[in-house]
Amino acid sequence: MGERFDSRIRVFVLRIVVLLIFGTITTRLAYIQLFDGRYDDMARDNFLRYVVTYPSRGEVFDRNGNYLAQNRECYDVMVLRRDLPKDGFDTVRICKAMGIEPAELRKRLRGAPYRREHRITRYPISLEEKLRLDEVGVDGFYTTARTVRQYPRQLGGNLLGSLGAVSNEMIRRNPDLELGDFVGMEGLEASYEEVLRGEKGLVLRDIYAPQGARDSVLKEAVPGKSIHCSIDTRLQQLAEELLRDKVGAVVAIEPATGEILAMASSPTFNPDELVIGRERGNNYMRNLNHPRHPLWNRTVQSGYPPGSTFKLVNGLIGLQEGVLRPHYSYPCHKGYYYGDGHKLGCHEHASPLKLSYAISTSCNAYFCYVFRNILENKRYKNSHEGYAVWRDYVESFGFGNRLGSDVRGERMGRLPTEEFYDKKFKRWNALTLLSVSIGQGDLECTVLQMANLAATIANRGYYYTPHLVRAIDGCDSIDATFRTRHYTKIDTRHFETIVEGMWRAVNVDGTAQGAKLPGLNVCGKTGTSQNSRGEDHSTFISFAPRKEPKIAIAVYVEHGGFGAEAAVPIASLIEEMYLTDTIQRPWLVDYIKSKKIYYPMYDKKRK
Amino acid sequence: MTRSANRRVSLFGGIDSVGMMLYIALTVVGLIAIFSASWDEMSDAPLSLSHNYMKQAMWLIIAWGVGIVVLLLDSSLWHKIAYYLYGAGIGLLLLTLLFGREVNGAKAWFDIGGFRIQPMEFVKIAIALATARVMSEYSFSISRFNDLCKVAAVILVPLAITVLQNDTGSGIVLGSFLFMLYREGLNKWLCIPILFIAALFILSFLISSTALLIALIVVFTLSEGLNDGRWGDCARYIAALFMASLLLFLTLHFLLPDGFNYYYALLITTLASLPLVVWYAYRERLRNIYVSVTIFAASILLLPTSNVLFNALRAHQKNRIMSFLGVASDFNLDYNVNQSKIAIGSGGLFGKGFLQGSQIRYNFVPEKHTDFIFCTIGEEWGFVGALIVLALMASLILRLMYMGDRQRETFGRVYCYCVASILLFHTLVNVGMTIGIVPVMGIPLPLVSYGGSSLVAFTTMIFIAFALDASTNRESPHAYRAG
Repeated sequence: MGERFDSRIRVFVLRIVVLLIFGTITTRLAYIQLFDGRYDDMARDNFLRYVVTYPSRGEVFDRNGNYLAQNRECYDVMVLRRDLPKDGFDTVRICKAMGIEPAELRKRLRGAPYRREHRITRYPISLEEKLRLDEVGVDGFYTTARTVRQYPRQLGGNLLGSLGAVSNEMIRRNPDLELGDFVGMEGLEASYEEVLRGEKGLVLRDIYAPQGARDSVLKEAVPGKSIHCSIDTRLQQLAEELLRDKVGAVVAIEPATGEILAMASSPTFNPDELVIGRERGNNYMRNLNHPRHPLWNRTVQSGYPPGSTFKLVNGLIGLQEGVLRPHYSYPCHKGYYYGDGHKLGCHEHASPLKLSYAISTSCNAYFCYVFRNILENKRYKNSHEGYAVWRDYVESFGFGNRLGSDVRGERMGRLPTEEFYDKKFKRWNALTLLSVSIGQGDLECTVLQMANLAATIANRGYYYTPHLVRAIDGCDSIDATFRTRHYTKIDTRHFETIVEGMWRAVNVDGTAQGAKLPGLNVCGKTGTSQNSRGEDHSTFISFAPRKEPKIAIAVYVEHGGFGAEAAVPIASLIEEMYLTDTIQRPWLVDYIKSKKIYYPMYDKKRK
Repeated sequence: MTRSANRRVSLFGGIDSVGMMLYIALTVVGLIAIFSASWDEMSDAPLSLSHNYMKQAMWLIIAWGVGIVVLLLDSSLWHKIAYYLYGAGIGLLLLTLLFGREVNGAKAWFDIGGFRIQPMEFVKIAIALATARVMSEYSFSISRFNDLCKVAAVILVPLAITVLQNDTGSGIVLGSFLFMLYREGLNKWLCIPILFIAALFILSFLISSTALLIALIVVFTLSEGLNDGRWGDCARYIAALFMASLLLFLTLHFLLPDGFNYYYALLITTLASLPLVVWYAYRERLRNIYVSVTIFAASILLLPTSNVLFNALRAHQKNRIMSFLGVASDFNLDYNVNQSKIAIGSGGLFGKGFLQGSQIRYNFVPEKHTDFIFCTIGEEWGFVGALIVLALMASLILRLMYMGDRQRETFGRVYCYCVASILLFHTLVNVGMTIGIVPVMGIPLPLVSYGGSSLVAFTTMIFIAFALDASTNRESPHAYRAG
């Protein structure tokens, strides 16, 4: 190996090597600095964050400007894992401040991306907790302001509904939503979701600026619009109080506008219990599994037999069809006898009787005659055709269909078709359906529909679709459907006879004399609906005063016995409160509150 | 003669002014970059010594002081004390191994009065001096095996200690002495295999062993073809090899219950063919085939050992290599390199301006004032600024090589080349890792990175080269001796 080497060549080679090495570095440098544009964006992504700012949700006021739902500030805790202290931090202390379990924090941190802010709290934390968190002051933990609901009156749980976190399914349907958003789940919160929600804003935040985060707003958050609800808090509160420990529903409507003044379903829940937070899940499950179903809005989601209150409709149809005149009188000897010794029973009262007294005393037999006359009218081929005509009339009152109100979850009720009866019976005629004449049988309606009936009669022949919202901030008017009169197929002149009967029922000799309020000319019709599950349902529809009515109301107390026993006092007290602003009969309040109704059908142990 | 006499009395007489200016420029650039990387506009006392830039300024003054002391000393001193320094250095490394402080898993540090010092920074000087001394001994010949072993021992003993310290990064720097050895006439048949083995080691992680074996066979046969022009025989050889291996593979694959791996079939066939190749070479009197066969056999033996070697590395070193090769990804490491690339890449042509680099300001770049100081330069001063810094560094290295070449004594020449090698390696690895072309090793950018001991050590190292050069100049200003 003793060959000589030429050092000049070697020196030259080594210089070339040095230049090659620096050339390689320079080439690479030129590539990443001059030609590869990605790094600019990546650098910007590094320190600029798109931060979503949450709008405050629209608030809900009652008709007198009191808050039904308002916002409470709260905070989401976000973690940017990259900024967390490298040598760890006091997990227990920070968890205590936030009020979460260390195990949960660890689990959530494990799933957190390194360079993107990640929400680590499942529920927003309160201002108090946020301040404690700030005090602990660990790098990498940030808070984002949000709002959750609070319900200062703690009223109207079924009515207002609640907010919940969006599900993946909802996000698929509505691309505006993102995981972690809260949306109305039931009630008003759900039906006016679009109005209340507002629009999220977007901020480009330089989170590392030395003087604290520097924001440039790309899009301002638009707060949700506030809603002015037609509910009268006093009435709502009274209705809920009177219904407490009973199962039933109350709906009060202002007939001249269709605005719902009170809408109580019992049992109900405190809307504050279901506010997003640690307790929501448990409270929700407790309510869901409650044997009496407090989450069920009985004003619109239960189909009840209307009972005797439905006689008003039959009377009106008879009058319109010309088969009934106010002076027609029919006999009643404790019932209506038909066929081979069949009888539809009635209570004891004077006989024969005319229409207004029949309404007042709620005579079953009278309306059996009326119903038969409607269906067996000679003008129609047979009673099937007669039934179709009758059904048409009934439908025009809003029965058998959703009214189209803004109350969430409205049911149709049940107004059977001819096909329904064709299927049910081999042959049928007016006598087969006789129980329909007194609002029993296969008829079902919601309490809202019954209140609507009261409003329709109060208006003498038309109704506005009942609705909960009077005005929305920033909108000129509410939906046009709520400002349209819906006329029934009954002429206005026929209503006065029926109203006379209802007035008489309360003020002279009827079943609803407990509803009498001096000087207010209350009109009403009781109902006692038989049902297969137990004691009769107690129901009452009413409006007052007789001229220019201010309030129409329907009360339904499940298994409350006679209409006069439970429903009448409740309706009367609500009317008194609304019309006179006071309650002169505290003993009646005590009576209702102390009235015990047993519900073995609900309270049975569930298997 | 009057001129030369005047220089003799002056402190800076004979000092290479170009080299000195490059040195000063680099340290000043480093100080500015460190200032930018550690500037805190919220600070109440910007001149407080708690700031890194103030510390670095202090260290710079100390370094210059040390440099002046080095210039004041008689340059022949270094030749005399080279072995003593080397012995002391080895002792220091062993002491560190026993009593050192562990930083980032490497037990390579000493805490002295609140300052953390990495002895290897200084020991490098001693190693360079000792290497220069060994190679400048009378009758030393690099082509003699015994002499080569002496040099290798001087270099490899401290390297072994740094490996034990788990600080392979700074030990591997000594591998750069190959650069100097080549200058000194190391047989290229030794240089090429060393580089070839390093390449094989890296390739063995990147491609499958079968592919690597095929590549080796093809490369060696091609080189044979290029040497002798017997393309027909080469083609026949490759064809025969693959046919035979395929036959062996198919036979065994169906005979053996568990099947058979083609890699082994090819390996067996190839190894079996080697005696035939040797016989062919003997018959045809083709001597260079022997060399090829030897290297080929050696590399095949190396392949399995590369795994053994790799497993001997520490976990973080393995991760770094694997991550760099893209075989496996180490999140934090990828993250650091990625951030460093982002910082430099976002700098553009002219940079974001002094103190304006968002990535540096907002602490996205790890170790931004020490190992990743080049990010500050790249981001704030852009391609132009980075190019200027690189040009300064390249000029200094080339200047040191030039200074070495004009030395009269072998000692000075070898020493200068050692310094140039170290600077070149540091720059390549340090800048290379910030732009993602070299795996991450924790070694600083000479004269620029923050760190007192590193600055003082590099200053001393370079000033010894200046002093040796100056003494040559003083004796004969126009002397130029190349080799």
